[in-house]
Amino acid sequence: MEKKLSEMKYTEKGRIKEIDKSLRAQIAGMGIREGKEVEMMTKQPIKGPVVVNVDRANTSIGLGLADKIIVEVER
Amino acid sequence: MNKILLMGQANVGKSALFNRLAGARVTESNYPGTTVDFAKGRMRLDHEDVEIIDVPGTFSLEPKDRAEEVAVKMLDEEKDALVVCIIDSSKVERGLYLALEIIERGCPMVVALNMWDVAKNSNVKVDAKKLEQILGVPVVPTVATRGEGLKELVLRMKKAAPADIEKIMEKAGGKSGTHS
Repeated sequence: MEKKLSEMKYTEKGRIKEIDKSLRAQIAGMGIREGKEVEMMTKQPIKGPVVVNVDRANTSIGLGLADKIIVEVER
Repeated sequence: MNKILLMGQANVGKSALFNRLAGARVTESNYPGTTVDFAKGRMRLDHEDVEIIDVPGTFSLEPKDRAEEVAVKMLDEEKDALVVCIIDSSKVERGLYLALEIIERGCPMVVALNMWDVAKNSNVKVDAKKLEQILGVPVVPTVATRGEGLKELVLRMKKAAPADIEKIMEKAGGKSGTHS
């Protein structure tokens, strides 16, 4: 099932399917690229950032960016 | 070579390494026009007194905030500086992104695979020799907090030379980037 990264639930895992072109280069340095496996670690309230685990590293991403990342979620 | 820039992503131990290399001769300073701090010190390299700079952490060379802007600006201004790129050994892939960006600029570079102990403890094995072979720049495992590998790192700074990004791609079996 596909969903936005921002819609992933706590502890949910998935594989990044598509990243909006406008931010691809911006987040590549954080190790977030298409094909990468991600796990949702924390979601901060009041439209705060999401924290995902990629390659054992926790990375926080603003909700606005997370909205533009499509993830194929494991069932 | 008159300056050494310590560069790396956030939380990889740049400052720990800096304090080790610069010893007690550290001075704090402000970069003009910003509120972001960086530290400057001096160290001995091959009987020469060289300046060593602790650059703010940056994920990539495409700055997203003021601290990263400072980092990129420093790299731009210090054309003949030697860059020590510090990578968290347990998160190598992420760190290589920045390392390759710096190599692409033609800077002479040494890679410090820092937090080697942390990687080992979490069962991450990194083939430093192979990485060195692929990158064409010295790659040295270090534990900055305990001072391990620093002697080797300093020794190999002398051998730092700009690497050829085309050759790296050849050796790594990769293709030209499709980044837009």
